[in-house]
Amino acid sequence: MTDDEFSRVPSALPPRLALRHDPIVVMLGTSLANPFVLGLVIALLAVAMIVFGPSTDSRFIYTDF
Amino acid sequence: MRFLVFVGKVAIAMVLALGLADLALRAFWPNDLRLDENFSAPLLTRIIARDDLQKRIVFLGDSALWGYGLDAQDAVPSLLAARGFPVENLSYEGGSIANTYALLRILLAHGVRPRMIVFNVNLKEFSPGDSAYRTLYPAVEQLAWPDLTPPERQRLDRKAKTTLDARFDRRIGSVWMLYGMRSDIREKIFGAADASTALDDRIHALSGEAQREARAHVPTADRFLGTYDLAPLDNENVEVFFLRRLCELVKIANLRAVAILTPTNHTLLHEYIDSPDYAAQLAYVTEMMENAGLTVLDDDRRFAAKDFLDNDHLTADGNVLWATQLARELTR
Repeated sequence: MTDDEFSRVPSALPPRLALRHDPIVVMLGTSLANPFVLGLVIALLAVAMIVFGPSTDSRFIYTDF
Repeated sequence: MRFLVFVGKVAIAMVLALGLADLALRAFWPNDLRLDENFSAPLLTRIIARDDLQKRIVFLGDSALWGYGLDAQDAVPSLLAARGFPVENLSYEGGSIANTYALLRILLAHGVRPRMIVFNVNLKEFSPGDSAYRTLYPAVEQLAWPDLTPPERQRLDRKAKTTLDARFDRRIGSVWMLYGMRSDIREKIFGAADASTALDDRIHALSGEAQREARAHVPTADRFLGTYDLAPLDNENVEVFFLRRLCELVKIANLRAVAILTPTNHTLLHEYIDSPDYAAQLAYVTEMMENAGLTVLDDDRRFAAKDFLDNDHLTADGNVLWATQLARELTR
């Protein structure tokens, strides 16, 4: 295959490699490699789980008539 | 080693972020007109810790004073607050005399001596069949239980689990505000116990199911069959026991206390309660409270049927009338 022919081949990286080169994935990977960002993300997930989680508290079931 | 340092930094960042969230919660959680429907022990602790509670008239009642079926601003304590009375409404749905006593114990244990306490005595709660009989609200039970005496504990059905994980859960909730107040946060954000319940309620409302249920939920007399137990009252009755304890506590603490005989819809309940037995029960509790030096307001027959939503909850207009009458009594 000549250089000219090679340049005409569409960029067909295997899916795994394509994901690795995706700019969003690259940015996420770089950010989460920072321990402080990762800690913040985990804290946010904990807050979200608490706020959106199901109520399992033993409520006083008020039975009006 | 590098990995451990990384994990340590992650943990520090996480704890700092959650700590900041807790600080924000403490700083910006609003002072509401009344307790929410699913209030937590940490929220109650936070309210009790407020400096101004000592100077306030604290309402320690049940759903009648909480404002069942009404917006918070239409409940009688809120109407009194709007008239300039320094009022704090610590009433809640599912209240009873045992709950009033336990809540007052918590206040006094935290060094809070209100300017005056106002509570209501609802004869339906003296019936062993009532949902509040022998039961404390979970948050109140959690805070009051250590201060209750063995005879008081014996008369109550403890609802809180005592398993290791349940105790661990309560311990976390007492130090981590966001976790401890999760039920209050959900109630505030979604107006329901949790997000899925709020979504379910919304679907119910949109489909017309909620309106159909409301129309079917008309308070007819037959619904109250068995609500009131008119057997003569004595010390064996748990509510009588706690009313006696409440009177003693008010006397010991030298508190000014006003007890209201709960407005009751005699037109609706005529066949069940318009009898000498009911009058005898009212006379029994009134005498006990007056002998202890409490001011007793007899509002049992004060309101007409049109002022009620059901058997003992007043409409918004009924609450306005009630507030007018209470305002006169509180300024005496």
